Amino acid sequence: MTSHDGSNFYQEYEVFSKKNAKSPIQHQFSLLAPNDEMALNMAQENFMRRENVIDVWVVPRSQIRSMTSEERQLWTKRLDNKEYRTTKGYGYLRKKWREKEQGMLDEKEIMSWKEVKKL
Amino acid sequence: MYIYGGASAADHEKDTEKHTVFMKRIEAGEKIEADDWMPDEYRNALIKLISMHGISEIMGALPEKEWVPKAPSLKRKLGIMAKVQDEMGHGQLLLRVAEDLIKPYGKNRENIMQDLLNGKLKFHNVFHMPTKTWADAGIVGWLVDGAAIISQTNMLDASYGPYQRALQRICQEEVFHAQHGESIIMALAEGSNKQRDMLQEALDRWWSSLLMFFGPASATTTGSSKQEITTKYRIRKSSNEELRQAFLDKYLPRIFSLGLTVPDETIHYDEANKRWEYKQPDWNEFKKIISNNGPCSKQRLRLRDIAYENNRWVRQALAPQAVVS
Repeated sequence: MTSHDGSNFYQEYEVFSKKNAKSPIQHQFSLLAPNDEMALNMAQENFMRRENVIDVWVVPRSQIRSMTSEERQLWTKRLDNKEYRTTKGYGYLRKKWREKEQGMLDEKEIMSWKEVKKL
Repeated sequence: MYIYGGASAADHEKDTEKHTVFMKRIEAGEKIEADDWMPDEYRNALIKLISMHGISEIMGALPEKEWVPKAPSLKRKLGIMAKVQDEMGHGQLLLRVAEDLIKPYGKNRENIMQDLLNGKLKFHNVFHMPTKTWADAGIVGWLVDGAAIISQTNMLDASYGPYQRALQRICQEEVFHAQHGESIIMALAEGSNKQRDMLQEALDRWWSSLLMFFGPASATTTGSSKQEITTKYRIRKSSNEELRQAFLDKYLPRIFSLGLTVPDETIHYDEANKRWEYKQPDWNEFKKIISNNGPCSKQRLRLRDIAYENNRWVRQALAPQAVVS
């Protein structure tokens, strides 16, 4: 960005942060800064005044290849016909298993298996 | 000649088609992103709204920061300091949204600042007004921010993605501002007679500005109003008058519960029409104020100018190459 005094003072940065070790890195917003260090400082001032974070990324926008408007339309529509890859339509199993006095292997059940009884 | 004529007719048809798709998208609740095709009318309405909103956050923070050294206790000092910092942060968020919208026109932040200083870009009527005592700081936090919260939450489902996302963050922080304001006025309302008088005087001073905040009920009052366009494109949901009524609904009972009054002996709730009847503020005065002829307009613009000049050395020191001016 060229300012009226002729310098290319500002660059556009996208800001990302991470709340804790388990959370994904999350897009916060964008900002203008003259360099990486200032971008990091401003990211903290602008977006992390109250929130605890364990990591912050500032990325020059020019370095991100994001989807174009057309690509976004294509990719989001593409997900229309992917239901056969999901558990949608298998809900009737719950009743079947209940008749057999058993539980269905749903997400909650399977995720609970990570804790294995100690011998 | 024929070819050119034909091409432009085809272009026009293509645009009409794009427009239909665009309207279908926003009517289906989809969010429009900065690089999506959008009608010029939509882009221009957003630019006007968001640059005005962003600049107002900064123009509001400038006089409010004057109260940091004058706050009556350390706790209040920290509170108002945090709030001022939030307002500047909101300004930064919103200016980024505006900047991405003006980019296709070859414009940037510099142009926004120049438009502000040369009077082309307006800022909210309330930030043209003086704050005389600490009670004014309380009324600003409680009621001016209250009015802002009413109008901002009305756009939380706005069709423009970047603005809508900025507003989520802003409204979350406004919860703190609302309680900060409540805390200040509660202490004064429950304080000495002198403190109560100070609070009542501040409320009297701010009343007409608060009514003006939402803008005139229709374009016939002041000659222009963008409310039809912003509701058509699902940027906001309600009209100026609906928002003003919502503000009166929320805040008048609270004002009266503290034993305070407003400087309008005619104000009452009309049960039959389910609305507040009130004395109209002076809309000619409103026009005068927002065209930078209010009591503090020039002084506030000067503050902005001084802040920009005082920080010039910082920009020069950080510039990747030598800066001429």
